[in-house]
Amino acid sequence: MNQWKLKEIVLMSILGVVFGFIYLAFFGVGKIFTGLLAPFGLGDLGYEVIYGIWFIVSVIAAYIIRKPGAALMAEMIAALVEVLAGSTTGPSLLLSGFVQGLGAELAFALTRYKDYRLRILIFSGVGAALLSFPYHYFTAGFDAYAPWVLTLMFIARVISAIIITGIIGKFVSDQLAKTGVLRGYALGKELQEKRERNAA
Amino acid sequence: MISSINPSVKGISILIPGILLSLAFDVITPLVFLIFILTITFLFGDVSIKRWLMFFAPLSLFALGLAWTSMLHTNEKYSGGELLVDFWWIDITTGSLQVGVSLALRSMCFISLSLLFALTTDSTKLMLSLMQQLKLPPKLTYGILAGYRFLPLFKHELDLLRQAHQIRGVSRKKGIRARFGRMKRYLIPLLANAIRKSERVANAMESKGFTGDRNRTHYHEMRVRSRDWVFLSSMVAALIFAFYLSYELGYLNIFGRTF
Repeated sequence: MNQWKLKEIVLMSILGVVFGFIYLAFFGVGKIFTGLLAPFGLGDLGYEVIYGIWFIVSVIAAYIIRKPGAALMAEMIAALVEVLAGSTTGPSLLLSGFVQGLGAELAFALTRYKDYRLRILIFSGVGAALLSFPYHYFTAGFDAYAPWVLTLMFIARVISAIIITGIIGKFVSDQLAKTGVLRGYALGKELQEKRERNAA
Repeated sequence: MISSINPSVKGISILIPGILLSLAFDVITPLVFLIFILTITFLFGDVSIKRWLMFFAPLSLFALGLAWTSMLHTNEKYSGGELLVDFWWIDITTGSLQVGVSLALRSMCFISLSLLFALTTDSTKLMLSLMQQLKLPPKLTYGILAGYRFLPLFKHELDLLRQAHQIRGVSRKKGIRARFGRMKRYLIPLLANAIRKSERVANAMESKGFTGDRNRTHYHEMRVRSRDWVFLSSMVAALIFAFYLSYELGYLNIFGRTF
């Protein structure tokens, strides 16, 4: 935490706040999908297909700031903001935020915070999916479900993490870098260097 | 009453049953605990029943939907017992009925626990208490608080963006692709503005001498008093009682094993 600049911490906090509210909004989206699938007894699948959205701030914060702990802390801040805003899931959201953030952090830690190519971002999203599934297995009572339903849910979650967390997460960050507001942060600096190299 | 409990202690008191209730797959344990939560919510919570129901009703409907899943597609471990319903592709046994009801009651416990927290806790006090009692770094605390205060501004900016698009006649096509494009048109400028603001706030904090040092004084001092401990221990006691009663009645079921 001591190597962090204050502006990086505040940026991470603000990203956490914005995405905390986006996360809350997506609970509504998940409910609509759940409602559509519920008559078949597959209501839980409604959340799984968009599950990747709940890992996205990890990838965005880590990709922009590129410091150890960014993925984990950003996800926990987003969870905290959901609690502050009066989410009905309550303080236990902090725990699931921790588990998801840890999963996302893993990919970056394994590459020693040096590699931020698309495949690593996707790997980070998949890590969050892999770690969060056993956690929900425990808290949501998945133990009572038939194995084929569980397998379907797990596959849906991983695919969703690949597409939404990895690919869309990178896309959003790159678009932000193009606007120039990230000039003071690692991603913006990288873009600047690339441009200079191309110009030369 | 409950609104004056220290927010960190309250959060921990809610977390403990939130984790341990996940162990129980029988009907009695969550039912007993649910009755306890409802009692303290309405006796000491100072929560209006109408407001509470507004949150609770739709969420428990959702919880019933999930219970329905587990009732229809029950794991073999739980699906023993007599066949109750055998209709088309639906077959429900006493075992699957029990586990479905248990999961629904458990979700209702979680919902009412969370409402007990959410409806009685002030967000600023929660952040200050996290910093003072649970040692969250001041840099993070004030960063989050600042970001949280920006929210009304974000809403205002979104309105401005919408009007700006409207006045320029940006097409309002229907369909998934157009919807995705619209999300991008709103999300990127909103985030870009948020990032600009965060940079300005960080500069302002530093220029006013904010170092993020933990040895700082506080204008609003949050304390842990004896009634906070009473609240914590009564929550834990009620949880133990629920498990014990269920065990005495011979219902206790932890991850498919009956005790």
